Amino acid sequence: MSTQKVIKNLKSFSTAAERFEGSHLLCPGCAHSIIVREVLNATNDNLVVSASTGCLEVCTAIYPHTSWDCSWIHIGFENSSTAMAGVETMNKALRNKGRISADTPQPKFVTFGGDGSTYDIGFQWISGCFERGHDFMYVCLDNEVYANTGGQRSSSTPIGSSTTTSPAGSHSYGEKRQKKDIVSIMAAHGSPYVAQVAPNKWKDMVKKIQRGFDTEGPVFINAMSACTTEWKFAPNQTIEVSDLAVDSLVFPLYEIIEGRELNITYRPKNIVPVRDYLGAQPRFKHLFTPQYDYIIDEWQTRIDERWAFLQKREEIRI
Amino acid sequence: MSKPINEMGWDELVPGAALYTFQGDIDYNIADMQPEERLYSETSSKAMSVGDWRVIKPVWNSETCIDCQNCWIFCPDTSIIARNKEMKGVDYDHCKGCGLCVSVCPTNPKSLLMFEEYETTEDALAKWPEKKKKGE
Amino acid sequence: MNKRVLELKDVEVWDGNMSNSNAFRQADVDVVAAYPITPSTATIENYATFHANGYVDGEVIMVESEHAAMSACIGAGAAGGRVGTATSSQGLALMIETLYQASGMRIPVVLCLVNRALASPLNVNGDHSDLYLTRDSGWISIDAFNSQEAYDMTLMAFKISEHKDIRLPVISNQDGFITSHTAQNVRPLKDEVASKFVGEYVQVNALLNFDKPVTHGVQTEQDWHFEHKAKQHAALMGSKKIIQDVFAEFKELSGREYKVVEQYKMDDAEVAIVCLGSTFETAMLAVDQIRKEEGIKVGIVAPRLFRPFPLEEAAAALQNVKAVACMDRSAPGGTVGALYNEISGALINTPARPLVTNLIYGLGGRDMTIVALKDIFRTLDKDAKAGKISGNIQTLVGVRGPALSYYNVEGK
Repeated sequence: MSTQKVIKNLKSFSTAAERFEGSHLLCPGCAHSIIVREVLNATNDNLVVSASTGCLEVCTAIYPHTSWDCSWIHIGFENSSTAMAGVETMNKALRNKGRISADTPQPKFVTFGGDGSTYDIGFQWISGCFERGHDFMYVCLDNEVYANTGGQRSSSTPIGSSTTTSPAGSHSYGEKRQKKDIVSIMAAHGSPYVAQVAPNKWKDMVKKIQRGFDTEGPVFINAMSACTTEWKFAPNQTIEVSDLAVDSLVFPLYEIIEGRELNITYRPKNIVPVRDYLGAQPRFKHLFTPQYDYIIDEWQTRIDERWAFLQKREEIRI
Repeated sequence: MSKPINEMGWDELVPGAALYTFQGDIDYNIADMQPEERLYSETSSKAMSVGDWRVIKPVWNSETCIDCQNCWIFCPDTSIIARNKEMKGVDYDHCKGCGLCVSVCPTNPKSLLMFEEYETTEDALAKWPEKKKKGE
Repeated sequence: MNKRVLELKDVEVWDGNMSNSNAFRQADVDVVAAYPITPSTATIENYATFHANGYVDGEVIMVESEHAAMSACIGAGAAGGRVGTATSSQGLALMIETLYQASGMRIPVVLCLVNRALASPLNVNGDHSDLYLTRDSGWISIDAFNSQEAYDMTLMAFKISEHKDIRLPVISNQDGFITSHTAQNVRPLKDEVASKFVGEYVQVNALLNFDKPVTHGVQTEQDWHFEHKAKQHAALMGSKKIIQDVFAEFKELSGREYKVVEQYKMDDAEVAIVCLGSTFETAMLAVDQIRKEEGIKVGIVAPRLFRPFPLEEAAAALQNVKAVACMDRSAPGGTVGALYNEISGALINTPARPLVTNLIYGLGGRDMTIVALKDIFRTLDKDAKAGKISGNIQTLVGVRGPALSYYNVEGK
């Protein structure tokens, strides 16, 4: 395991030499690139990065320009994880055969995928990679929708969100299904480390990313990516909405070690009502009508129950 | 590369549409070299500009800035340049004018504010607001 | 070369799968990512057994689907090493998008495709529907007619795939069950000879080469896509010459000569069939018999190289015959079969105007027998003498029930 770079505070973090270039085509205010920068800047090691088809891939690798200052591969929508499994396995093979010298420091293998790829179409692939125990980090850029293609629902889309394929209307309050609990699912694969992060809480996120880099085996990071275009808030509100998400506990920040020990890593000083979080995003604006208002109450109940559950698990250490 | 890529025929392109970030081979650890010390190829997106996406732009006031680096970390476009733990300025070639840097700036008055694209830095700084009093 | 050498006899008894497995072993593949599917499974099982007994230095990962198998091969290949896998039928269909991705990204991979029918109905036996599904995928595709050839083609596939002027993935085909599960005499190269023949893997744009960070798998829109597909097509078309060179080099080592279009008794043939796979060998026996018994001068043409299609060589082989039956072992999907199209397309711009018919046969592993072939030869002979096709252009041969035939342009 290579020595982790030390990041004492934001000022020292800012001395990082960026490996993600501007003039990508992501929307102004996109949280994806904030997340990518935090992940890439958390290490000075050599990187091999893969990405699934989606906003990140499309906006950072349109010929003839690449925004990646490291080796990068995209194959398709489902298989960014498996692509990295292939790279990681080849690395092992070439080292065993002496075609990569043992002196060469081990690189970090990082895969990025949207929620569409992670929760839906690429789920089998990630499951296989985690079951086989490849040594890599998978970061899900979770904006709760198929953003790249105009905002269709995924199994990450939360109840009441209006998307183009689960639109709100006089006969529907939008998405009807619960958001899949991807973190628990990946923990159940026996991953040594899974965590939920949000880029606005950079210190919490970078600490977990570094722990992930330090962990041998498949690491899963679910990163909340507030999407200005599909959640429909102004581009300069990305951090503000992200703050509401973690302070309302809609996106609780926690980690699970070896599938057993759950640690809540952020406890808001003042817990914000879920109503405030939902109210900041026009994708939920139809809930603020007499017809659908009850959904907001159901939201609050659900978030409260889950927070209680997380605290209980943390307490009893299972 | 001898010829700009836009002038190349199919026979001159890299097979598989692969793209190189840097010119030639590199013999250093990229993360140990600040971008200005690296030799980028024309196929790095760094060579492009998205400045024309903007209609408003952030202007930086170094007088009020405390180098907290909030703007640096939350810029989605790697357009806040920080060196030696100090804020150096805005990279207007790559800034899209999203305004996140302004929203996360903690000083009073803020050290980054949005102005019309056509505004000069001098004029913008001259218009800088005063410190907001409590309750304002 | 692997550290542990397997001492092989001069003549081994291997089925087509074992031939594949040994070719992989001798080629010192760095990563095999695979998923089991009948009838290709044993290629991987044998290889895994070699690995478990220390005869393979590379890695073997058993992934969770065929799509994942090819995805991992592409990732591993792009990382910078030799990769291979095997599949059939449904597995091939599942990984089809990755085939296009592999060839577009110009990643050398060897795929042992043990040809099996595509569902539905579900069928595990040998036909060429999966082979045909790969037609437009941009892969080089070579066909083995027996177990010896399966070994030879799979071994050569690595050398072809990695050639600096090719860098395209290669499919090594063989008939499911008929070849894959039939143990035959195989004369393999010794490990050292085979390893030297295939050579060391040379990295091109490897992800694990940190001296030159590279971006693989970009998006190209209307302003760039055509140039890259044109470049890919040029490489595929240009590979034929190199494949012929590799065949020649292999002949020096093994004494076995291969051609991009194989022929049997075409020198004086008046009629011919065009086919793929083990049918070629059955037809050799039928041809010998009917020439002796009935004096019909029939020959066989088989494109050993299916992609890039050897259009000129196929046309040249058929210049002097009066009737050709193109035999396609795949459900034709509402039109004439692939070989009929390729052959007709090859002949149309030459002076030759034989009668060309299309026979659909052997679906789902139904045997093509010597008896049936002789009937086909007789029909060809009759048509050639009459100067016209006696029935319709396309006939399904060997199916129980009323005769099924289609397409008649003579207005009968």
